[in-house]
Amino acid sequence: MIPAKQLLGEIAESLRKVIAPAIAEPFPKAQAFMAAVILEFVARQVEERSDIADEKREALGDLFGSLSRLDRVNGIVGKGAVDEAELCRLIERLYGERKRLGEEAFGAANGAVRETLRKLLDQELKVAGKGEG
Amino acid sequence: MADARTTQEKIADYIKTKMPGARDLALSDFVQTAGGWSHEIFIFYANWTENGRAMRQGFCLRRDPGAGLLRELSSLAEQFRVIKALEHTAAPTPKGYWYEADPSLLGGPFFVMEKVEGEVPNPWSRAGKQFYGEAAKRGKLPRSFVEALASLHNLDWKAAGLDFIGVPRPGKDFALREIAKWETLISQSLRKPEPVLTEVLMWLKANAPEAPRLAFVHGAYRTGNLIVKDDAIAAIIDWELQVIGDPMYDVAYVLSDLNREGSPLLSCVVERDFFLDYYQQITGLTIDLEVCRYYEILYMMRSTAFWLSASGLFAEGRNKDLRLARTTYSVPVVLDMAARALGF
Repeated sequence: MIPAKQLLGEIAESLRKVIAPAIAEPFPKAQAFMAAVILEFVARQVEERSDIADEKREALGDLFGSLSRLDRVNGIVGKGAVDEAELCRLIERLYGERKRLGEEAFGAANGAVRETLRKLLDQELKVAGKGEG
Repeated sequence: MADARTTQEKIADYIKTKMPGARDLALSDFVQTAGGWSHEIFIFYANWTENGRAMRQGFCLRRDPGAGLLRELSSLAEQFRVIKALEHTAAPTPKGYWYEADPSLLGGPFFVMEKVEGEVPNPWSRAGKQFYGEAAKRGKLPRSFVEALASLHNLDWKAAGLDFIGVPRPGKDFALREIAKWETLISQSLRKPEPVLTEVLMWLKANAPEAPRLAFVHGAYRTGNLIVKDDAIAAIIDWELQVIGDPMYDVAYVLSDLNREGSPLLSCVVERDFFLDYYQQITGLTIDLEVCRYYEILYMMRSTAFWLSASGLFAEGRNKDLRLARTTYSVPVVLDMAARALGF
């Protein structure tokens, strides 16, 4: 997702340089310029939501921990960082090693991965979905 | 020295070079449309006199802005060649006039085609949904919708010279080529790891279906990419995703929830049962719903690629269009659709 500060800055710029100059009526023109000014202030107030990153980190930690305890699968769990980039690599390794793992082990690992993917997605949907309320 | 002419003036000067017999040529009703995520689209009429008679013709010009949705995957040269090849077939398409690769003329490659008379109501708008819903009740447009699709799938693409766009090998090659194409766009666009997308891609590769027959496939056949006149499809437009491939790929797009946003009608215009029956009747093909389900998931991956590309172009400062910025929020939503389709 594009960082909130960057987006607010770009919208302010669009209001100031594209939208406001194209408006002929004085009142809506002034409103567009003022919206740009306010958005620049708002951009200084906002912070990215830390709860989303925290929840994702926890879900990833749980997944890598449980996969390390799964027979046959533990060999393909990386020893490095526990993050989304490593999860991408793990998914690729799982499919790549599917034959060697066998359908039962692959299915168990893939099921656990998908459960975590759902948790990660739900975190992103807190912002991009229809809202939490 | 900088060229101070407006875009309209540059286009008028260009058209004059292409129509040297047209006296007093001037453009009117010049509009840059709001649609078009890959290319800038200009619609206008040329007015001139010829042998003492007043003449008027509508044109549509597509220009490559250099940082469009499909990035390097989009080729105006290919689109123009496809439109020219389709001119001599039963498929309703605009006539192609001129293609120019030289960026010095208009700031980027472009081509000019016929402006087909009719309208393209936006199916996502309330007015558009109402337009298609009322046309559906009259019954002529849904039939035309299916017939225009069948005209593509029934055409002899080798005889039409369309094999230059690439012909997959027998078996799973078509699906795997499509996946590879959109993976290229994803790799050009990705700004952070997307593990859900990785899982979708791996599942698609592991479950690619065989294509038992090949046809000329539009790749985005839906209302919004069709010009409608008198309750019939006057022209199929937006030629940038076409492939030689499994015709079920287009059928899946028609069946997809991606293209009806709450409407009970496929593509907001055609009843599902009617579409399935009539399509099979006039093409002689059997619709494989299981394969269509696979392609629907492939389309979700493709949509994700589009939105990653669009939001990436914006984030990189290469395109300032706020519509592209909005798509950053579409990525998790379409990945959610894919995840649910895969059962998680």
